[in-house]
Amino acid sequence: MSRLLRIAGREYAAYVRTFGFWLSICLMPVGVIAAIGAPLMMERGAPVINVALIDLTGQAYAPRLAPVLSQPGAGGRRVVQVVAAPLSGADPAALAAAARPYLTGDQTLAGGAKLDAVVILHPDGQGVAADVWSRNPADHAVEGRVGDDLADLMRHDRLVRAGVDPAALSAIDAVAPKVIGYSPKAQGGRIGAREFVQTFVGFGMGALLWMVVLTGAGILLNSVIEEKSSRILEVLLSSASVPEIMGGKILGVAAVTATVLGVWLSIGALVLARLQPQMFSLLIQVLLSKGLLIYFGVYFIGGYLMYATLFTTIGAFCETTREAQTLLGPIMILLSIPMVFMGQAMLHPDAPILQILSWIPPFTPFLMAARAASGPPWWQVIGTGLLMALMTGLELLVAGRAFRAGALSTARFEPKRLLASLFGSEE
Amino acid sequence: MQAALRLDGVTKRYGEFEAVRDLSFQAEAGRICGFLGPNGAGKTSTLRMILGLVAPTAGRISVLGADDGRKVRAKIGFLPEERGLYRRMTPIGAIAFLAGLKGVPGGEARRRAKNLLEAHGLGHAMNRQIRALSKGMAQKVQLLSALAHEPDLVILDEPFSGLDPVNQQELETMIRALTTRGATVLFSTHVMQHAERLCDQVVLIAGGRKVFDGAVEAARAAAPRRLILEGALDPAQVAALPGLAELTSERLEDGALRVSAVLAPGVPAQDALRAAFAKGLDITRFELKEPQLHDAFIVLTGGEIGA
Repeated sequence: MSRLLRIAGREYAAYVRTFGFWLSICLMPVGVIAAIGAPLMMERGAPVINVALIDLTGQAYAPRLAPVLSQPGAGGRRVVQVVAAPLSGADPAALAAAARPYLTGDQTLAGGAKLDAVVILHPDGQGVAADVWSRNPADHAVEGRVGDDLADLMRHDRLVRAGVDPAALSAIDAVAPKVIGYSPKAQGGRIGAREFVQTFVGFGMGALLWMVVLTGAGILLNSVIEEKSSRILEVLLSSASVPEIMGGKILGVAAVTATVLGVWLSIGALVLARLQPQMFSLLIQVLLSKGLLIYFGVYFIGGYLMYATLFTTIGAFCETTREAQTLLGPIMILLSIPMVFMGQAMLHPDAPILQILSWIPPFTPFLMAARAASGPPWWQVIGTGLLMALMTGLELLVAGRAFRAGALSTARFEPKRLLASLFGSEE
Repeated sequence: MQAALRLDGVTKRYGEFEAVRDLSFQAEAGRICGFLGPNGAGKTSTLRMILGLVAPTAGRISVLGADDGRKVRAKIGFLPEERGLYRRMTPIGAIAFLAGLKGVPGGEARRRAKNLLEAHGLGHAMNRQIRALSKGMAQKVQLLSALAHEPDLVILDEPFSGLDPVNQQELETMIRALTTRGATVLFSTHVMQHAERLCDQVVLIAGGRKVFDGAVEAARAAAPRRLILEGALDPAQVAALPGLAELTSERLEDGALRVSAVLAPGVPAQDALRAAFAKGLDITRFELKEPQLHDAFIVLTGGEIGA
């Protein structure tokens, strides 16, 4: 045991002393803040959209549309400013041609401002059509808002023409049902913010587990490849047993990933507690309820052991990462499968495909972690957990022999040699 | 004297290939045993079996009284043929770490590492990263890391390879020093000079089989003594001298002839010298060349040297 701990301690110290470790500790929070903050800053920093409305309908849509368009909306709606049209005419095609230099930037509005869009409203059968000419073809903000707001006005006009009293119409518009969601799985029966948080906690747990397991397994792979290529493994094998070496390395790297994860989660918790105390409190309640932390712990251990053992064994056969790539490709494809389905687990945690995939041990830790918050049937939790434990145990059993064979081998890596050693036909 | 190491009919097969075949020998405690053989003779496979890193296909191995090297790994020091250390560790850290794996407590391991490094002229480099050391210094660090736990059995696989003559000499001194405290040393090499100077016992293997086991002197005796004669000689006259066989001759720059001949076992060289004078041979050089271990090695391995 002391040898295992010494190997773990050396492994931990070797990584903690590297510049890359501290860089990853510091950069991840910065990256998260940037990922969250950048779109928000871009949204807030986006310039006002200058729109010119030209109304050829004869039904005075432009004066009614302008104030609606200019209203600052909720949900990050871009600010639209309706400006006086710098051009006039009666032919939509001619107006479009005249608008072109404004939209290409060759001409500006009075005062030097740029015109971002020109909306030409014209009759279309019994209704109204809107040609939206934009400076940026990728920005559909004006198109969408003109479509929505114009449709409201057109419906209003039709109903008034059909004899509906405008006051009654306003009252009808204000009618909205009070919809409340209930579920037997929700606390107190009523679906609320807690359930919303719970859904995302499941996905977050699965994704975090996926990332942590892969990061740890990747570190282990590189560590073993380095030891193999620099001929340290043979010295280690003469000083400690294979389970001690593998166990020590796996434990050491687990401590490294746990340290990184701990720092990231602590920073995240501090930021959330400061900015959104209610959400933080809700998150803690969700994590502490239904044994989610236990789920996370169990699946972290199972998933990490499963993949760490596999990657450590592969590393013992490889002198370079290039050699390891031949096996890592298929494994990475396999590992991308739970990531695809974890998103589904948020909305449909009991979907048949998710239930089936949960029984496949390499996917179990990620998918069951993602489904955990929705309270999957207990027999599935126990069954998939046992299968995962069985698979991990079996892997540990055969990996020792393969690790020793790989560590002592000096031949080039060949997948068939790895398989032969796993099944005991080669030493 | 008690055997620190005993191999009895040990065979190792990798599929169809037989790396070691029915190998038996023993190394006495406190002695230096050279394990000699050409490249690919099965030396590394044998050492790995002794260490318990691979299991023998057949036969028995006893190491320091245990039937498996892994059971006594804390009492064994091992230097593999292909060497390496953690490049970012310091010498003191690396030696202390490996001594720690052999059961030496942390503080004591560091103290021993420091003392060893200072005693072998590496005190100034003990806190540098190993990647900053020269190859010779790094090799010395690795050797010290195999000795820091004061093992009873030291197994060195080709310890002299890659060392310059000064470091080779120092390594010889270190190996001799190990036996003064009672340790047994088993080292493999295919450079005979080191074995000749160091070993109390040599075991020669070729093609996975033992071809000799005994003292260096006895090994030398397996090779013939040679006589070198130079002068204005007639090869036929030299051939007529008592006990000489397998004559070869070459003409020297000054016109003299050099004759080399095998001296038959048991025949004193003086007999040939006396007979030469009696026949009035014009001899300017008469030299008896005792066989070296290198010669014995070639004879015993069937000329497989340098393979």
